[in-house]
Amino acid sequence: MADAAPTTANSATDPQQNPNPNPLAGVDPTWAWAEYRPEGGNTADASRPWNRELAAHLYRRAGFAGSSGQLEEAVVAGCQATVDRLMAGDLNHGQETGEFYVQAARSAESLLGSGNPQQLAAWWLHVLIHTPHPLRERMTLFWHGHFATSAAKVTDVRMMYAQNVILRNNALGRFAPLLDQVSKDPAMLVWLDSTTNHKAHPNENFAREVMELFCLGIGNYSEHDIKEAARAFTGWELRQSEFRFNRYQHDPGQKTVLGQTGAWTGDDVLRILLQQPATARFLVRKLFRYFVSETADPSPALIEPLAAGLRENDYDLAWLVRKLLTSNLFYSRHAVRQRVKGPVELAVGLLRSLEASANAYALHDELKKLGQGVLFPPNVKGWDGGTAWINSSTLVGRANLVWAIVNGEGQMRTRFAPDKLAALEGADQPAVVATRVEELLLACPLPDQVQVQLASIAAADDGSPRQRLVRLVHAVATLPEYQLG
Amino acid sequence: MPSRRTFLQTALGSSTLLSMGLTAPQFLARSALASSAGTGEKVLVVVQLSGGNDGLNTVIPYADEAYAKNRIVLRIPSEQVLKIDSQLGLHPSLAGFRKLVEDQRLAIVQGVGYPNPDRSHFRSMDIWHTAKPEVEDKRDGWLGRCLDCSPHGVGGDVPALHLGANPSPLALASLKTAVPSIESLESFRLRTDGGSLPLPSLSRLAEAARPDAPELLQFMRQSTLYAYTSSQEVQEVLKQEREATGYPNSALAQKLRQIAQLIDAGLKTRIYYVSHDGFDTHANQLGGHAALLTELSAGVSAFVDDLARRSQLDRVLVLCFSEFGRRVRENASQGTDHGTAAPVFLAGGRVQSGVIGAQPSLTDLDGEGDLKFHTDFRRLYATLLEGWLGCPAEPVLGSRFESLPLIKT
Repeated sequence: MADAAPTTANSATDPQQNPNPNPLAGVDPTWAWAEYRPEGGNTADASRPWNRELAAHLYRRAGFAGSSGQLEEAVVAGCQATVDRLMAGDLNHGQETGEFYVQAARSAESLLGSGNPQQLAAWWLHVLIHTPHPLRERMTLFWHGHFATSAAKVTDVRMMYAQNVILRNNALGRFAPLLDQVSKDPAMLVWLDSTTNHKAHPNENFAREVMELFCLGIGNYSEHDIKEAARAFTGWELRQSEFRFNRYQHDPGQKTVLGQTGAWTGDDVLRILLQQPATARFLVRKLFRYFVSETADPSPALIEPLAAGLRENDYDLAWLVRKLLTSNLFYSRHAVRQRVKGPVELAVGLLRSLEASANAYALHDELKKLGQGVLFPPNVKGWDGGTAWINSSTLVGRANLVWAIVNGEGQMRTRFAPDKLAALEGADQPAVVATRVEELLLACPLPDQVQVQLASIAAADDGSPRQRLVRLVHAVATLPEYQLG
Repeated sequence: MPSRRTFLQTALGSSTLLSMGLTAPQFLARSALASSAGTGEKVLVVVQLSGGNDGLNTVIPYADEAYAKNRIVLRIPSEQVLKIDSQLGLHPSLAGFRKLVEDQRLAIVQGVGYPNPDRSHFRSMDIWHTAKPEVEDKRDGWLGRCLDCSPHGVGGDVPALHLGANPSPLALASLKTAVPSIESLESFRLRTDGGSLPLPSLSRLAEAARPDAPELLQFMRQSTLYAYTSSQEVQEVLKQEREATGYPNSALAQKLRQIAQLIDAGLKTRIYYVSHDGFDTHANQLGGHAALLTELSAGVSAFVDDLARRSQLDRVLVLCFSEFGRRVRENASQGTDHGTAAPVFLAGGRVQSGVIGAQPSLTDLDGEGDLKFHTDFRRLYATLLEGWLGCPAEPVLGSRFESLPLIKT
């Protein structure tokens, strides 16, 4: 650390810019991807018992955040059972998951007539806050960043909704149908200027993005592959807001794409892309960063077993996500708090922890200011994530968003369930209140000095118990620790 | 209330640092480096004149017969022109700009444009923003690419900032860095009202040492502390200078006033961007254009004077550009239609003041009746990138453009 070369950086050192030495260098892939078994068996690891800290970690990554009840249940049920539950997505006791989504679809369809994409964004935030299947939404958000399409250009709300439905329906399904549907999705065609595609002037935009951003990643294709693939995609067009293949505009000639020669169509190119080992590696790397760690650069040896497994399992995304969420590595120091919460994770997580609801329109406005308006990704690359979220302006903005949510004033109109708050308030023992809030929102070790300050905030004799609780939540949710996912 | 620089050097420099264990030396080195660099960093302020400014009625070739012939109604009588030399003068509303010329603080670059000019506002503005006239690639802008290739750290102040109600302009779009757009400095105020915790409490909670914490948490602790301290500092500056004088009450001037305050507060933001809209003067141009120029000239000159008073002028450069000029011949509605080449203004303590480059001929026009440009705007960009922002121009602009003698060394 001390001998790291100085840079012209600002006040803080950026761990992502400087991953030296790579903390994952000595990690054995077999151990890393073996199932985490704190309870017993050959690979039992007594040094990392399943506890509230790890349960909270799992919930942050797979479900934005757990409520008090969810975390308590998870500690008792154990790791595997909790992962099962998150994968199945039935976290609401009252309402069945299917019913939740039927109602959500109904309310989405009723707002499409407005033509206003901000309303659709608010609708999605509402779903994120209240869904009984947060892992599905987390994956939907992942795919939204992967296939980043913005309503700023695709102004047709129905198109944006249709794409959102594709992403959600395939969020934990198989990658092949997802890629196929997104490639022919009207919103995507508008986004990448591919509403017409004539054989005389093949449009390279989609051919490039499908290789660079959707499947292979940079360095795994040549400019010639893009040119040839663009010819294969000729004839793909939008007609009356629907995808169609116009065979009169399709170039039927021979093309060589990634070493394979034939009279390829667009579908053939997608098939060839899925055959490339680079595609599975690219997806595993990106999901590793999304679920496991943003600070470490995993070696090829660490990625390969999962990439091979993904291909063997026919690109079954649920298989991959489960593998990540049940692995030894996921519950190790290499993963815990090695991610920066994006703005959506921060706000949705806080509301889910507190089992509160807020005005999703106001929330959408705030999240846009912080750089993560859903349905409005900044560019074709989606959100970079990690420390790119953090600067002096966004940190003040994040703190102010927390303030707005916990105070619930003005536009935000936060509504807490009174009985949940009462349970937190814990009558007349301030130290207990402070501990409960810490365990709910952080569940991680804090310096003594911070704990003493939090306890004194809980014990301050000004204001009602409710006001003290609000101050305490504000204090905890603006700690540096709370910014980590 | 100590300044942020003092705060970082003293409060963090002593006891706190000792308790931070192994990461302390690096943090100390970096913050010391950052704070010393912060005082000298060059700042670029872009003022975009949206709509297509009528260059000929801004920098006026009053002695040219062709000017009088083409501008029957819109001609500014030569006795009203604020003369710079025997040929050229400024619009009478540009008194502030003339003062800047006298003070050696304004460069007027004549005949700026690009080949095959596009007369669509949107396309031409995109071209100025992306610096890519040949291709339509709106993924990033020239200033965004400059941010991408400068090794600025994350976690500190935003590298660039747009002040205005709209999203950040394409010029600032980057594939790596999100450039925030704020409506006012209120966005920098950490909200601690409504009976919630005071700011010092939040800062103290962030400040507490986390000796064994992993690097990401250390980073977050430093960034959080920096942000909260920064917010406090900006608020202090705003409080002291609420009555900052010399600025007109216009929207542009008020944005520039806030930028001056941020610069003076020691923010390490290097690029600020504001828009001044309404230059699409197709009809009844005289009154409206005069008002726009008054706002521009009074705002920019108040900004320059204020920066000089704060001893910050030598590290600030203001660029005023428009997506195109307007047609030489006025139209039938007492206005002008979309044109091509136009003057660009640069203001600051280090500019090579005066008129740079010839006035394009008013008789040797292109097929549409528009001025022929002689200075590619990308030469201007190359000058600013290399001579001011310290960023290699070629990767940003895609090819080599010769610099212009605009900055005093």
